[in-house]
Amino acid sequence: MNNPKLSIVDLTKRYAPGLDPAVDCLSMSVEEGHLVALLGPSGCGKTTTLRMVAGLMDPTSGSIMVDGKDITQTPVHKRGMGMVFQSYALFPHMDVAQNVAFGLQMRKVGSKEQNRRVVEALDLVKLGHLAGRQVKELSGGQQQRIAIARALVVEPTLLLLDEPLSNLDAKLRENMRTEIRSIQQRTGATTLFVTHDQDEALDMADRIAVMNGGIIEQYGAPAEVYERPQTHFVADFIGQANFFASAVVADDGAAADGERSYVVDVDGFGRFGAVGAAGLAGSTHEIVVRPHRLKTSLQQPAGPFIEGVIERVSYTGDSLSLGLRAGGKELLSQMPTASSGIPRLGQTAYLSWDPADAFIIPGTAGIPHGTERPATADALAAQDVA
Amino acid sequence: MKSYTRRGFAALALTAASALALSACGGGAEAGKEAGSPTSGEVNLIAYSGIWEEQYTKAVIEPFKAKYPDIKINFVSKRSSAEMLSALQGQKGSPGTDVAIMDNSVSTTGNRQGLFEKLDTSAVPNMANVPEKFRNKDGYGPVAMLDAVGLVYDTATFPTAPDSWKVLWDPANKGKVNIVAPPSLLGISLTAITAKMEGEDYTQSIEKATAKLKELAPSVQSFAPNPDEYQSVITGQTVIGLGQNARAQYYSDQSKKKIGVAVPKEGSVYQINTINLVKGAPHSAAAKTFINYALSAEAQSAFAKALFYAPSVTNAELPAEVKARVVATDNPDITALDIDFLSKARDKWTQEWKRQIITK
Amino acid sequence: MSIITAAGNSAPGPGLAPGVLEKAKSRRDRRTFLALLAPAILGLVASFVLPLAYMVRMSFNEGGPDGVVEEGFTLRHYIEPLGDSYFWKVTLDTFQMGLVVGVLCVLVSYPVAMFLARSTSKFKGLLTALAIAPLLTSAVVRTYGWMVILGDTGLVNSSLKSMGFITDPLKLTNNMTGVTIGLVEIFMPYAILAMISGFGRLSPQLEEAAGSLGASKFKVFTRVTLPLTLPGVLTAFLMVFVLSVSTFITPRLLGGGAVQVLATEIYDQTTGLLNWPFAAALSVILLVLFGIIISVYQRLTKKIGA
Ligand SMILES: Nc1ncnc2c1ncn2[C@@H]1O[C@H](COP(=O)(O)OP(=O)(O)O)[C@@H](O)[C@H]1O
Ligand SMILES: [Mg+2]
Repeated sequence: MNNPKLSIVDLTKRYAPGLDPAVDCLSMSVEEGHLVALLGPSGCGKTTTLRMVAGLMDPTSGSIMVDGKDITQTPVHKRGMGMVFQSYALFPHMDVAQNVAFGLQMRKVGSKEQNRRVVEALDLVKLGHLAGRQVKELSGGQQQRIAIARALVVEPTLLLLDEPLSNLDAKLRENMRTEIRSIQQRTGATTLFVTHDQDEALDMADRIAVMNGGIIEQYGAPAEVYERPQTHFVADFIGQANFFASAVVADDGAAADGERSYVVDVDGFGRFGAVGAAGLAGSTHEIVVRPHRLKTSLQQPAGPFIEGVIERVSYTGDSLSLGLRAGGKELLSQMPTASSGIPRLGQTAYLSWDPADAFIIPGTAGIPHGTERPATADALAAQDVA
Repeated sequence: MKSYTRRGFAALALTAASALALSACGGGAEAGKEAGSPTSGEVNLIAYSGIWEEQYTKAVIEPFKAKYPDIKINFVSKRSSAEMLSALQGQKGSPGTDVAIMDNSVSTTGNRQGLFEKLDTSAVPNMANVPEKFRNKDGYGPVAMLDAVGLVYDTATFPTAPDSWKVLWDPANKGKVNIVAPPSLLGISLTAITAKMEGEDYTQSIEKATAKLKELAPSVQSFAPNPDEYQSVITGQTVIGLGQNARAQYYSDQSKKKIGVAVPKEGSVYQINTINLVKGAPHSAAAKTFINYALSAEAQSAFAKALFYAPSVTNAELPAEVKARVVATDNPDITALDIDFLSKARDKWTQEWKRQIITK
Repeated sequence: MSIITAAGNSAPGPGLAPGVLEKAKSRRDRRTFLALLAPAILGLVASFVLPLAYMVRMSFNEGGPDGVVEEGFTLRHYIEPLGDSYFWKVTLDTFQMGLVVGVLCVLVSYPVAMFLARSTSKFKGLLTALAIAPLLTSAVVRTYGWMVILGDTGLVNSSLKSMGFITDPLKLTNNMTGVTIGLVEIFMPYAILAMISGFGRLSPQLEEAAGSLGASKFKVFTRVTLPLTLPGVLTAFLMVFVLSVSTFITPRLLGGGAVQVLATEIYDQTTGLLNWPFAAALSVILLVLFGIIISVYQRLTKKIGA
């Protein structure tokens, strides 16, 4: 990322002097042509961030740069961004073609050129045949596409989408995901995409910025964010997770991708293997194991294991989801279905994992053995005594 | 073509729809017949509102009540005689009103329309004290009181009372003049006065008067002064204007002589109120008692003292200082307007003012 | 009148009910519906239709001097004013006053309505109440207020004088200027209310969308805000127009007898000259004027797709 398309530096927004900042000293860069998802729970500051980038809102401090140029003070209508609103915000007093042409008219594009580009944009979203329609005669999905066409027709420096799929029904949402992704890839538009839906983010984005409480907890490729969560929040928010408070007992040598293997003492369950960044030995951390990486069997395995009682079974056809209770802790696991031997409620099951599938979350309080947990690790404490 | 009243038409429309039942369907007494007792019951009086009602109640109605405690007077007040006439026209057939005190010109119309009863000294003994000239030649209701149109002025601007109508045209007063335009009697009177000053017979033409009044128009602050022509001067919106002597005298006292009133040397026009018995009055006997009292020397002088209207009876005694402030009823320069002519000309003159004089 | 149209719309048409049973049911529904509406319709007929019919009938009667009305059928009271340049002038002045007051009132109320419609303040309710609070006082009182403010020695003239801008007072009362100022202020609350309720299609997101597409503040206003608020503006204009053309008090009090509009003319004819047939005819002419304006309004609103 030598020449990022968009850089956000120490961006802060405080809605009112007394309030906690909605966006707190946030920095990130977006590479040209990438689709970046701002992912996080409702109220974490995604929309605020997007609106500051769009120029619809002034930051309290910090700066926004596009192509290396500071645009923090540039008014919205001179930023050349293409924004798609959650409610689509199509102009109800104009027909479809007029809506799409609006940005071109503002840019004083000649009428011939206008027509050509409107047709092109409508074709891009496969709605060329609706050019003369009134906005109120369109379905939600169609409105969505028109909104995208309207934003893209001006060849925006950035395409900004605020929860574009949240008003669509589930089936349509799936289709639009692929649709938007394919349009974005075809046009190469650098895109900032706000969503609270992790599947959407994982599916569509080149990079995901996981936001929480006005800050970015982790910024990375989908696989990275999923497999190597840097904080408890990220691990918990994206996908399902089992957390274990563990003492990192010993460095067990090099693992793949420059990581280290460790021996960890999992609170109350004995010693297991796990991987993580270098230099973690001797401190207490959480490890995360995804349910489908938890090996579940009804016979005792050879290596270390956790013994649990099956409390919940849910059968989804190609996999079984199990809820287990082990040592007062609630655990989730998944196993492939077999034609026979479906686990029953109340049966004992044995859980284990490959060391490579357990990841030591570095962000979770790197505290030496035997010391009291600081107050900031409250969430973690709640997790493992449950 | 049948002549009929609005109320009749309204009743027709309403009964047809059977939406409303008429409440006033009592049916009055037959013409000429006595209705009710002369010393008890009630009398429904229709007359002017505001200060007039206030002072008449104090000076005449209350003493009457003291004298005839069994007769209750219900005062229905209207802002103008035209509105009274309109109300009476609406009641024709089944009147709710017994007595009307209204402008001579309007009551004459009422007489012609058969709204009123004739009166004589046998019914109203005090009419004997009303001189011939104040009696109706056909025997209808006589004059109850008189007043005249005058110049109401701001005493600070005019330390000595203006003695000529010409002061209205004085450029010094530009923008400070108020004129109550026709159909008000004040505006009608000014038209007649101006015609006279221009040597014109208003029954023939008001061409010259119109031209002269047109010259006045740009100086006029308001052709419908608010709240009224007296307050307009008292509050300083204007310094001079038309008004009635009687009310102006009263307001002069009220305002501690902030305003004065003068009847100029060129003469003026009487404003004459008659007292009338409504035809088919539901309480005609008590009404006659009241009319008789209203024409008594006692009532006449009491009202003159209260609101400075000149008595219409010969036997009313007035203190000198009051006498000086009510209009003389024998001033040859003060004329009564030709009522028959006026009833035809009022509309025309009103239009003339609107089209020629007020419009710039 | 809207009640009647509503009845017309919601009563199911015969074609809509295929089965006999449904037909019977729909007929019963309609009967219940009419029964429920009956009091309202009766009230409307008694309070609105009958007086109106009476007035129209009155306008064809012969009017004699001093308030005598003769039943008959004459078009005199229509033909005479129509052939009279004075009444044309009064009618045109009335129309013009309605237009000017309507336009000015909308212009000054628009920003207020916009502010209130957009406000997210917790005091929004209070502010709206304040904006329409003048409705709590009578138009007469407010007109007197304006007479005091605009008079020759009133607030405006005395301050201008003391600041040395003028030597002679500006004539702001007893003419059309005063009437216009008074009416604009008096009808502002109505205009504000009409506009706020007509601003439904406007949303901040639409304006933001326009801005993000490159529209300057001015362009946002002309291309998005204004077109979307136009229905409210038109409604407010229509309301103020109708109110100011039919109002009598303010033209009478602030006009000082020098402002002749249909309403003052009707008043003079009714109470001063007692010529009811003529007054009725003028009222009918005024109604026709309303009719014209309202049909223009409907055509316009249809056109802007409100
Ligand atoms: N206009 C505003 N005034 C005050 N606080 C606001 C405003 N808009 C958003 N917030 C607050 O800022 C935080 C972030 O909001 P937002 O950016 O809309 O979150 P998200 O889009 O992630 O759901 C929330 O706590 C929200 O309540
Ligand atoms: Mg949001």
